[in-house]
Amino acid sequence: MFAPFGKEKILCQLLLFFLVLLILLATSIASSSSSSFRVSNTAPSPSNYAFQQEAMEALLEWKASLYRHNNRDHNNSQLLLLPSWTVMAANGSNSSNPWKWEGITCNDEAAAAGGVITIINLSSMDLQGTLHDFNFSSFPDLLRLDLQNNSLFGTLPPTIANLSQLIYLNLYKNNFTGSVPVSLATLNKLTFLHLGTNQLSGPIPLEIGNLSSLTVLDLSFNFLINGSIPTTIGGLKNLVGMYISSNQMVGSIPMEIGNLTKMNSLMVSDNLLTGSIPISFGNLSKLNFMYFYSNSLSSSIPLEIGNLTNLYDLQLMNNYLTGSIPQEIGNLRSLTRLYLSKNSLSGSIPASFGNLTNLQSLQSSDNLLTGSIPASFGNLTNLQMLQLSDNLLTGSIPASFGNLTNLVRINLLQNQLSGQVPQEISNLSKLQDLQLANNHFNGYLPQHICINSASLIFFSGSNNHFIGPIPKSMRNCTNLMRFRIDKNHLTGNISEVFGVYPNLTFIDLSYNQLYGEISRNWGKCLQLTNLKMTGNKISGRIPPELGDSTQLQGLELSSNFLVGQVPREMGKLSSLLILKLNDNQLSGTVPEDVGLFSKIERLDLSMNNLRGSVPKQLGKCTYLLYLNLSNNRFNGSIPVEIGNLVSLQILLDLSGNLFTGEIPPQFGSLNKLTNLNLSHNNLSGSIPSTFSEMLSLVTIDVSYNELEGPLPDNRAFRNAPMESFIHNKGFCGNVTGLQPCISPSTKKQTPKHSHKVVILIISILAILLFLLFAFFGIFSFFRRRMRCIVEDPIANQQ
Amino acid sequence: MAGLAVQIRTLLLLMFLTSTSFTLTLTNANVEGDALYALRRALKDPGNVLQSWDPTLVNPCTWFHVTCDSQNRVTRLDLGNAKLSGKLVPELGRLERLQYLELYRNNLVGSIPKELEGLKSLVSLDFHHNNLTGSIPSSLFSLSNLRFLRLNRNRLTGRIPRQLTRLRNLKIIDVSNNDLCGTIPTSGSFYKFSEKSFENNPRLKGPELMGSVSYELGCD
Repeated sequence: MFAPFGKEKILCQLLLFFLVLLILLATSIASSSSSSFRVSNTAPSPSNYAFQQEAMEALLEWKASLYRHNNRDHNNSQLLLLPSWTVMAANGSNSSNPWKWEGITCNDEAAAAGGVITIINLSSMDLQGTLHDFNFSSFPDLLRLDLQNNSLFGTLPPTIANLSQLIYLNLYKNNFTGSVPVSLATLNKLTFLHLGTNQLSGPIPLEIGNLSSLTVLDLSFNFLINGSIPTTIGGLKNLVGMYISSNQMVGSIPMEIGNLTKMNSLMVSDNLLTGSIPISFGNLSKLNFMYFYSNSLSSSIPLEIGNLTNLYDLQLMNNYLTGSIPQEIGNLRSLTRLYLSKNSLSGSIPASFGNLTNLQSLQSSDNLLTGSIPASFGNLTNLQMLQLSDNLLTGSIPASFGNLTNLVRINLLQNQLSGQVPQEISNLSKLQDLQLANNHFNGYLPQHICINSASLIFFSGSNNHFIGPIPKSMRNCTNLMRFRIDKNHLTGNISEVFGVYPNLTFIDLSYNQLYGEISRNWGKCLQLTNLKMTGNKISGRIPPELGDSTQLQGLELSSNFLVGQVPREMGKLSSLLILKLNDNQLSGTVPEDVGLFSKIERLDLSMNNLRGSVPKQLGKCTYLLYLNLSNNRFNGSIPVEIGNLVSLQILLDLSGNLFTGEIPPQFGSLNKLTNLNLSHNNLSGSIPSTFSEMLSLVTIDVSYNELEGPLPDNRAFRNAPMESFIHNKGFCGNVTGLQPCISPSTKKQTPKHSHKVVILIISILAILLFLLFAFFGIFSFFRRRMRCIVEDPIANQQ
Repeated sequence: MAGLAVQIRTLLLLMFLTSTSFTLTLTNANVEGDALYALRRALKDPGNVLQSWDPTLVNPCTWFHVTCDSQNRVTRLDLGNAKLSGKLVPELGRLERLQYLELYRNNLVGSIPKELEGLKSLVSLDFHHNNLTGSIPSSLFSLSNLRFLRLNRNRLTGRIPRQLTRLRNLKIIDVSNNDLCGTIPTSGSFYKFSEKSFENNPRLKGPELMGSVSYELGCD
C-alpha cells in the first residue's frame, strides 16, 4: 500500500525472500510427507522410491502366494503368472516402468506429486490362492478392487477394511468361504459390493446398514449365507440393486426395505424366507424387478404392490401365498412378466389384468384360482406366453383371445374350462404350443388351424368333450411335433385329413369315434416314434408304408376294425418297443419278420382272426416283457423258442386258440414270468416238471385243454383256484379237488407214509387173491375127478 | 458412474437369463418326472434308450420304458439290458407307486441308495448283473410289499442286513455272486431260501447258527 523507501525497502525485500523460502520449505516438507504412500507414474525420484516400494512389495508378496489355476507346479507357474509384475533392475535404473503392471492403474498426477494406485483389476486371470498375504494397508488410495472370476479361496480378511477409499469391490465368482467380515461395513465410500457366487456362509452383518453410499449389494449364489435380512438394511438409502438370491436366508422380509425408494432390482429368490410381503413395498416406486420366488412366503399379496407402476418383472412363484390376487395388480402398467405359479392363490383372476398391456408372459399355474378367464385378456396384445394350468378355472376361453396375435404358448391344462374353443384361435399366426388337455371343453376344434401359418408345434386336447371332425387344415401344420387328441368324441373320416409331418414324433388319436383308413402318409413321417389310434372305428388295412417310418417305437392300433394281414414290411420297424394290434379283424398269419423286432417289449395281437402257427422267429424277441396272442386261431404246437423269451414278466397269454401238442418244457426258463394263461386250447400231455423253475409265477390258467398228469411243484399252482384246471383230461395232484396221482412217477411225490400203506394193501390183496385161486383150483380138480367115475364114456363122445 | 451403469445392466441381463431357466423348470410340477429325469442325467445311455424321456412333458407316462397307472403315477420302470452305465440316484425313492424296478444287466456303478426305502409299493427290485458296490441298505426292510429281490452278480460288500428277514412277502432273494460277508440270516422269511440264493460270496460264512457264538471279525 505505501511504498517503503530506504531501510524499510531492504527489510521488506528480506521479508519477501524469507517468505518465499518458507513457502518452498513448507511445500517440500509437505510433498515429502505425502509422498510416503505415493508411487510415481514416471521415473521415480529417489525420494518417492521407498513409498512405491511398499506397494510394489505388497503386490509381489501377494503374487508369490498365488499360482495359476490348474497349474500346481508352483515354480513354473510363477513365471506364467502376472509376468509383467517384476521388480526393476537392482541398480535402481528405470529400464522398465514398474507401473505398467497388468491390472494396475494409477491416477494421472503430475510426476512430481507422484501417482497412486487407484484400480486393481485382475478379473478372469485364472488366479488361485488366498487374500491372506495381501497387505491391504499398502493401498489406502485404492478406489476399485476387481478380482471377479478367479479361483481365489479362503476367508475374506477383515483387514480389507483398510482400503478406506474403496468405492468398488467385486469378488464375484471365486471360492471364498467364511463370513462377510463386519469390518467391511466401515468402508463408507463403498457404492458397489459384489460377493456373489462364492461359498460365503454365516449371517449378513447388522452393520451393513452403515454403508450409506452403497448402490449395489450382491451376495447371491453363495448358497450358505444364513440368518435374517437385517432390519438395518433400511439404512442403505442409496441402494439401487439388492441381490441375495440362492442362499439360506430365514425370517421375514424386513419392512424397512420399503424405505429404499431408489431400489430398482430386488432379488431374494431361492431362500427360506417366511412371513408376508411387507406392505411398505408399495413405496418402492422405482422398482423394476422383484424376485421372491422359491421361498416360504405366506399370507396374501399386498394390494399396495399395485403402486409399483415401474415394475417390469414380478416373480413370486413357488411360495405359500394365499388369498386372492389383488385387482390392483392391474395398475402395474409397465409389467412384462408376472409369475405367480405354485402358490395357493384363490379367487378369480382380476379383470383388471386386461390393463397390463405390456405383459409378455403371465404364469399363474398350480394355484387354486377359480372363476373364468377375463374377457379383458383380449387387450393383452403383447402377450406371448400364458400359463394357467392346474387351477380350478371354469367358463370358456374368451373369443377376444383372437386378438392376442403375439401368443406363442397357451397352457390351460388341468382346469375345469368348458365351452367351445374360440375359432379365432386359428388366427394366431405365431402360436406354437396349445395345451388344452384335461378340461371340459366341448364343441369343435378350431377348424382353420394352420391355414394362415404353420406355426403350431405342440397341441394337446386330450381328455375333453370335443366333437366333430379333425380340421381339414391340419394338413398344413407341417411343423407339428406332438399332437394329442385322445379321449374325446371326435368323429369324421381320417383317411385324407392328415398330411406329411416331417417333425412329428408323437400322435395320439385314441378313444374317439374316428373312422376311415390309416393314411399311407404316416410312412413319410420319418421322425415318428409314437402312433396311437386305439379305440376308434378305423377300418381298412394296415398300410405297408408304415414300415418306412423306421423310428417308430410305439404303434398302437388296438380296438378298431382293421382287416387284412399284418404287413411283412412292418419287419423294417426294428426300433419297435410296443406293438398293439389287438381287438381288430386282422387275418392271415404272423409273418416270420416278427423276429426282426429285436427290441420289442410288448406285443399284443390278441382278439383277431390270425391263424397258422406262431413263427419260431418270435423266440428272437428276447426283450419281450408282455406277449399276448390270445383269442385268435393259431394252431400247431407252441414253439419251444418261446422258452428263449427269458425277459417275459408281465404276461404270457396264448389262451383261446387251437394250439395242440405239449407245453414246451423250455417254459421253465421263464423265471421272471408272473402270469401265464394257456387256457382254451387243445394242449395235451402233462405240464412239464420244469414249471417248478418258474419261480415268479403268481397266476396260472390251463383250463379247457386236454392236459393230464401231475401238477408241477410250483406255488402258483398250489394257490390257484379250481377254475384254473377244469375241463382237462385228468390232472392229479395234491390240490383240493384233484385226484391224488397214482402212477409210479407220482409215487415219489406222495409221502412215504401212504406209500407203505399202499404196498401193504396190494400185498394183502395179492395174497388173498392167490389163496382164492388156489382154493378154487383144488376144489374144481376134486369135482372133475368125481364126475368122470359116475358118467358113461358114450356121453363123452360128440 | 457410466461404468457402474454398465455393471448393473450386465448384472440384470444375467438375472434375466437365470430366471428364465428357473421358470422353465418350475412349470413342470411333476415330482415323478423330475425324479426319473434326475436318473437320466446320472446315466450314460449309449443305446439312446432314454431318448423319449422329455422333462418338459406334463408327466412321464408317455416315456418309453415307463408304465403308469390310471392316475398317471409310475408303476413300472423297465430298463433291463439297456447298456446303461452310471449311478443310481436317491430321487428314485420318490416313486411311491413304483411296483417293478428293473435295471438288470446294465453297467451301473456306485451303491444302492438308502432312499429306495421310499418305494412303498415295490414288488420287484432287480439290479442283477451290474457293477454295484457298497452294502445292501438295511432300509430296504421297510419295503413291505417286496416279493422279488435280485441283486446277484454285482460287487456288493458288507453283511446281509438281518432286517430283511422282516420282509414277509419275500418270495425270491438272490444275492449270489457278490462279495458279501458275515452270516446268512435264517430267521423270518429267510427260512425258505436255499443256499443257491447266496452262493459265490467267498467271504459269506454260511447260515447263522442259532445259539452259537459268531465272530464278527473281518466283516465290514
